[in-house]
Amino acid sequence: MIDMMVTIKREDGFHARPASELVKIANKYKSNVFIKRNNRTVSAKSILNLMSLAIRCGETIGLIIDGEDEKVVLEEILKIF
Amino acid sequence: MIAVIIVSHSEKVAEGVKDIAEQMNNSKIMIRAAGGTENGRIGTNTLKIYETFEEVKNADNILVFVDLGSSIMATEMAMDMLDDEIREKITIVDAPIVEGALGAVIQATVTDNVKNIIETAIESKSLSKLQE
Repeated sequence: MIDMMVTIKREDGFHARPASELVKIANKYKSNVFIKRNNRTVSAKSILNLMSLAIRCGETIGLIIDGEDEKVVLEEILKIF
Repeated sequence: MIAVIIVSHSEKVAEGVKDIAEQMNNSKIMIRAAGGTENGRIGTNTLKIYETFEEVKNADNILVFVDLGSSIMATEMAMDMLDDEIREKITIVDAPIVEGALGAVIQATVTDNVKNIIETAIESKSLSKLQE
């Protein structure tokens, strides 16, 4: 299991477009992917969950990836952050 | 293949929602706007909606997102003008026009399950806009 903190560097913040990229990655692989912000943890497989987090640029969020392909998933996700 | 149609009283709103949704598209979803009257005024146009249905009739499923009142009526009238086999593919989705259309398009890029796509769009009603 990967459990780490990441900072969103994208200048457009974590809005609908990057969120849609994340949900695509999360659904493409077997691993479970969770995003933690403040006290909420949501599955990255759901676009509505991600949009409801309203993550902003510069924020640090928790990223949890668990599964056999977690390393590949992490690599893919870091590309869009 | 899924088609998403945006029906609004305003041509600009329909085009605008389409533009945002296209940003999420993986080019596999047909997104069309059918807003405003035939001369670009505020209102709805059954014929325009009907022609949009005809344009996407080869899709397996057609999801329609509407704004208010007569958008729904005009959509239903346009549906009545279609052949049964096209009409059966159409669902008017009970969801907010922006969030619902976006949710549906994004979900359609991760699954082919149309029931799941519609559910995602409907659930966007409960999306809270302001929170810490």
